[in-house]
Amino acid sequence: MSIDIRNISKRFGNFVALDNINLDIPTGELVALLGPSGCGKTTLLRIIAGMESADEGQVLFGGAEATHLHARERQVGFVFQHYALFRHMSVFENVAFGLRVKPRKERPSESEIRKRVMELLSLVQLDWLADRYPSQLSGGQRQRIALARALAVEPKVLLLDEPFGALDTKVRKELRRWLRRLHDEMHISSVFVTHDQEEALEVADRVVVMNKGRIEQVGSPDQVYSNPATPFVYQFLGNVNVFHSRLQGNLWAEVARREDGAGGEGGGAGDSLAFVRPHDIDILREPVPDALGAEVRYVHPIGPVVRVELAHQSELVEVELTRERQEELQLAQGQSVWLKPRQVRVFPAGTVAGEALQDFSI
Amino acid sequence: MTVRRANNEPRWMRVLLLVVALGFLALFLGFPLVTVFYEALKKGVDAYLAGLADPEARSAILLTLGVAAAAIPFNIAFGVAAAWAIAKFDFRGKSLLITLIDLPFAVSPVVAGLLFVLIFGSQGWLGPWLAEHDIKIIFAIPGIVLATLFVTFPFVARELIPLMQAQGKDEEEAAVSLGASGWQMFWRVTVPNIKWGLLYGVILANARAMGEFGAVSVVSGHIRGETNTLPLHVEILYNEYQSVAAFASASILALLALVTLVAKTVVEWRMRKETEMLTADLPPEKTE
Repeated sequence: MSIDIRNISKRFGNFVALDNINLDIPTGELVALLGPSGCGKTTLLRIIAGMESADEGQVLFGGAEATHLHARERQVGFVFQHYALFRHMSVFENVAFGLRVKPRKERPSESEIRKRVMELLSLVQLDWLADRYPSQLSGGQRQRIALARALAVEPKVLLLDEPFGALDTKVRKELRRWLRRLHDEMHISSVFVTHDQEEALEVADRVVVMNKGRIEQVGSPDQVYSNPATPFVYQFLGNVNVFHSRLQGNLWAEVARREDGAGGEGGGAGDSLAFVRPHDIDILREPVPDALGAEVRYVHPIGPVVRVELAHQSELVEVELTRERQEELQLAQGQSVWLKPRQVRVFPAGTVAGEALQDFSI
Repeated sequence: MTVRRANNEPRWMRVLLLVVALGFLALFLGFPLVTVFYEALKKGVDAYLAGLADPEARSAILLTLGVAAAAIPFNIAFGVAAAWAIAKFDFRGKSLLITLIDLPFAVSPVVAGLLFVLIFGSQGWLGPWLAEHDIKIIFAIPGIVLATLFVTFPFVARELIPLMQAQGKDEEEAAVSLGASGWQMFWRVTVPNIKWGLLYGVILANARAMGEFGAVSVVSGHIRGETNTLPLHVEILYNEYQSVAAFASASILALLALVTLVAKTVVEWRMRKETEMLTADLPPEKTE
C-alpha cells in the first residue's frame, strides 16, 4: 500500500520536529529516512504508525485518509530499536500475540495460529527458538523475532525504527542484507529510520535525507550520494572537502563559474563554497592547468585505500587514493604535488538548506 | 608477611562492625519481639487464649483485617493509575502529582486523621449534609478505611513508578500496533510485567494498614466492639492494666508482621530472579 504524507508539521513545545513534510512512498518500496539525531525522522515514522499525532497535515494510506485512524486500526507493522518483545512471553507467544488479540470473529483457530507462527519463525530462520524467552536470545535474534511478530498480522506497511541500531557491526551487516532479501520476497511497503548512511545506501530503494525537521533530498542511493542536492547532504553522506576561504582566488571555483557561463553571474565572486569528495581528487607529481599546488602532510594506508592529508596554503585537504595509485606516486611526507579534481560542486555560501547553483564535471 | 588487598579491612574491624549491627538489631528489634510473646504467655496458654477469645478482641482482629482488605483494591487501583500516568505520559502538573503521592509520608498521621474529622465530622464542612442523609463516616468504619487509605496510598505507586519508568512504553506500543485494544494491552502486557512489583507494594501497604495507629485513633472514636482496631485495642487494654490480654493482642499484630516479612522476602526473591533472567548472559548467535 502506498503512503502519502502531506504538509505534516509537528512541534514539541518550541522545538519544531517536523516542518511541512511532503513525501510519497509508492507501494512495495523500501525507503530509508536518513538523518542525524533530532532531525525528526523517528517522529515522522511514529506519525505514520499513529503513535504520535501531527499538529498539521495528513497521512494517506493507499490514497485513503488515515490521519485520525488509531494505531491499532492502521494495519502497520512496527519494529522498535530495542525490540520491545513481550518479556514474559515465549518467542512463540510473542509472534502469536497479534493473532490472539483479534476480535473473536476474525481470530484464527489454535491450529491455524500454530501453523502461521511456525511459518513466520522459519521465515526468520529461528523456528528452533520457539520455546525460548526473549531474555535468552541474542540481539540479532530478538530483532528477527520482533520482525516475525510484526509480520504475523499481515500489515499493509512495515515501519522500522533504527532496527539495527542496538546491534554490533557484524550482526548489523548480516541483518541488513537479510532484511533486503526479505523485502524482495514479501514486497510490502517498508520505511526504516536510520542515522547510518551506509545502511541507508545499501538497503533502501530510495533514501530520504532529513535535517532539522525538513527533507533535504529524496532519491535513489546513487543519486543522493553522487548528486547531493544540498551542502548538508554532501556533508552527511560521506566525507567531503569544503573549500571555504578566499574562493575568489580559488582556481576550481573560478573554473566552475567560467564553465557554467550564464548561471555563474548570479552570485558575486567569493560567496561560494566548493565541495569535492576525497576520492574525486587525483594527485599529480607534475603541474597541469587548473591544478592546485599542495604539500603532503600525512599518508595513512587504511585497508584498501590510502588516505592522504595535504595542505593547500592554510587549508587542509583530504584525498583518498587506491593502493595502486599510491604505488605509482610513492607519496611521502613533505612532497610538493598538484591536485586535480574529477568532480567539483559549488554551492552559494550561507545556503544550509538551499538548492545547488551549479554542478559540473571536469 | 601476608599480602592484603586495599579493601580488606582488618579482622577486628569486621568483627566490631558485625557485633555493633547485630547487637543493635537484637536489642531494639529481637528483644521487644521476644518480650511480646513472653508477656503474652506469662500466665500460661489458657490466659493467652482467653485474652484472644474475648469478643472485643475478636471484633478488633476482624475489623483490622477487614479494613486492610478494603484498602487493598483502592490502593491497587490508585497506585497503578498514578504510576501509569507518571511513567508513560508527559503532562502538566506531573511533578505536583509525584509530590502529592509522597504527602502521606511527610504528614503526621494524626494530622491526617484530624483533616478527615474537619471535613466529615459533625462540625465539619460536609457534616450537616452527611447528617441529613444519615451517612456516618467519622467514628464509624468508613472513616477508618479513609484514614487507612490516606496513610497507605503511596506504597503501591512508589513501588511501581520506577519499575514502569524502567520498562518504558515500547511493549505497550508494540501491543497496540499489533491490534490489541487498551484492555487487552493492559491485561496481557502491562500487568504481567508489573505483577511482582505490584504485589510487593500491596504487601507493604497492607502491613502499614494493619499497624496504623495515629490517623485511625483520631477518626475511630474507640467504640469497643465496633470501631476499635487491633492497635487501638492493645492501647486500651494496656491502659486498663490487662497486660496479658494486651500482649496477646499485640502478639497477633507481631505475627501478622512476621507473615508480612516472609511474604515480602518471597516476593523480593521472585523479583530478583526475574531481573536476573532479563540480564542473563546471551547464548552466542547461531550462524546458519
